[in-house]
Formats: sequence, C-alpha cells, structure tokens
Amino acid sequence: MPELDTPQSLPEADLNALEARLRDATTLIADLKARDELKTQFLSNISHDLRTPLTAIITHAEILRDGMLGPVTDRQLDSLHGIINGGRQLLGMVSEILTYARGAANQMALDCVPVRVDDLLRLARELNEPLCARKGVTFQVDMSDDVPIVEADREKLTHVLSNLIGNAIAFTPPGGRVWVHAQPWTTDSHREVRFEVGDTGIGIAPENHKLIFMEFAQVDSSPSRRHHGTGLGLTIARRFVELHGGRLWVESELGSGSRFYFTVPAERTG
Amino acid sequence: MSVVLVVEDNSLVVDAMRVLLESGGHDVVTAGTVADTIAQVRERAPVLVLLDLTLPDGSGLDALREYAGTAARKPITVALTGHDDPGLRKKCLEAGCREVLLKPVPARELMAHVNGWMAEAREAGDA
Repeated sequence: MPELDTPQSLPEADLNALEARLRDATTLIADLKARDELKTQFLSNISHDLRTPLTAIITHAEILRDGMLGPVTDRQLDSLHGIINGGRQLLGMVSEILTYARGAANQMALDCVPVRVDDLLRLARELNEPLCARKGVTFQVDMSDDVPIVEADREKLTHVLSNLIGNAIAFTPPGGRVWVHAQPWTTDSHREVRFEVGDTGIGIAPENHKLIFMEFAQVDSSPSRRHHGTGLGLTIARRFVELHGGRLWVESELGSGSRFYFTVPAERTG
Repeated sequence: MSVVLVVEDNSLVVDAMRVLLESGGHDVVTAGTVADTIAQVRERAPVLVLLDLTLPDGSGLDALREYAGTAARKPITVALTGHDDPGLRKKCLEAGCREVLLKPVPARELMAHVNGWMAEAREAGDA
C-alpha cells in the first residue's frame, strides 16, 4: 500500500498551491456567509413589509363583514369571509417567514414560565376539534395523570403543537384519526414531558424524514402539489423545541400515518 | 367628541383604522412620524393613542416617552405591533403602554378595546 503524503513531505510548490486553495476557500466561506446574512435580512424586511398592506386588506374586509358600514347580503358576506380567510392564511405564511428569518439571525429569545400541559392540550382541543369535525377526522387528546408542569415559552410551545396538529389534519383524509398525547419522559436523569402528535394519514417515506425538517423543503415541491406552504413550519418547530433544550423527531412510513414526538424540560423543583 | 390619535406611517393602514374608528363614532387624528405624534398630542389632546413602533424618524416609544413627560393630560397609549416578541412587549409596557396588540387586531376586537378605554377615560373625567 503506498504511503500517504503528509504536509511535511509535500514539495514546496504543492504546499504553496494548497495554501492558496485554503485562502480561496476561506474567502469563499466568508462571502457565502455574508450573502446568507443578506438573504436573511431580505426575508425579514420583505415579510415585515408584506404584513402592512395585508393588515389594511383584512381590516377593511372585517369592517364590512361586521356591518360597521351598514348591512351586507349573505352573498356579500360569503365573499368577505373569503377575503378574510385568504388574507389571514397569507398573513400566517408571511409571519412564518419572519419567524424563520429571526431564528436564522439568532434574534429569537425564550420567555420561559411554568406551563400546565393540561391547559395547552385543552387549548389544542378547542382550536382543532371544529376543524376536524368539518373534515370528518376524529381528534383525540389525552395525557397521563403524572405529567409534570413544563418550563417553557407558552407561545412558542403552542406554536409547535399547532404546527404539528395542523400538518396532521392536512395530511389525513376524511374518516381518519389525529391524536395528541403527553406523558412524562426521563432521559439522562432529566425530567421531561414527551408530546406525541399522531395521525392515520398518508405518512412519510423514511428517505424523506430528514428532508421535511430542512428549510424551504417539501416532499412534493411540484407546482401541482396538493399541500401548499412555506416549507418552514417544521424547521421552525424543531428550532423552537431545541431552544428549550428538547428534541423533535418523526416516526413514519408511507401509507401508515405519522407520529411526531417532541420533548420539553419539566419545571425544576427544589 | 373624544379624540383617538392613530400613529402609523403606512397610509393603507391609516385609512383602514380611520374607517373603523369613525364607524364607531370616534374623532380620528393621525400622525406618521415621532415629531408629528408629539405635536398632535400637544395640539389635539387625544384620550387614546394607538401607537405603531416603527416610524421613519425613530421609535414610537421615543414619542411616548416625550409626550408622557410633557402632556398636560396623559393619554392612554396602546402599542400596535407586527412583531410577536415577548422582549418587545415588555419594553412597551415598561415605557408606559397600557397594552400591546399584535397587528392586525380583528376589527371587532379592536373596537371593543377602544370603546372600553374611552369609557374608562370618561369615568376618569378625561374625555
């Protein structure tokens, strides 16, 4: 077997060439980092600027819908609901891009307080049961008796749960089931709560398990895809969970539903 | 009629807020900069200020600090922000905001809030 060259045994010319390539690579990395920061800044600015006219559109439509300028007919009301729902959906996507941009720029801070898991699950039930009922999907929420209080940023934790439940409902056909379960979880002497958001939907092939957490990536990115979005929801959810010191992962196979799990540290006692 | 000052630098949002508040019977004045805001508080003595934070010549909170220290009658100030950020919320409350609302506040909800604050000011004899 031939001996490998080490830097000490390289001829001077080769060493100089290597050093030059190293310098080029360092410059390239610095350049790419600067461009990445510019991209993040652009995303942050554009999403902020998009929110402003959207705010005006939604407010005007709500003024009309609520009859503040006089009565509206049922058909006009249907149309106004369409404008408001579309506007709020767009606003949600724009906010998602803004949240991502903040995270990428390390501008995301946690405001941790003790949070009762049963409160979170009750809210999840209230928000999602009507949506599931409309779609003909069964929604189940339960938790073990001994689930501790968690130490978390309430809004961000609610965001993670909403995102996972929203995905589960979106990818589960009528007649299917979506469930949320919380239980105590202990790893390396850390007390945590493990949340499970599961569904009987279309499932995710194992080769796509990494992809779904990548920013802007979607399993089906074709223009004719049935499910639209920014491709940032799971990236943000995972980042929120990791900011808390927890983990978010998926277990799924194509055609057999999905189970997303995440952990959140329990409140420190004593 | 009791005056509401809408501080916002985007004319589309100003128009929407004006239509909303005037439909509720409020007298609306507007300001698009920190300097305008301070001048309007001094001249029109609003009961309520709905304050955008990002203005061309500075932060809405700078305006609040200025008029809170000098106005003869201190208006109720409510921050309207596009940022859902606990740090920013804390900063607004510390600067003297009564409440921090995330834009766009649903029209009906905002009107209910505004009516509540105006009633409160009336009871206190400010409106």
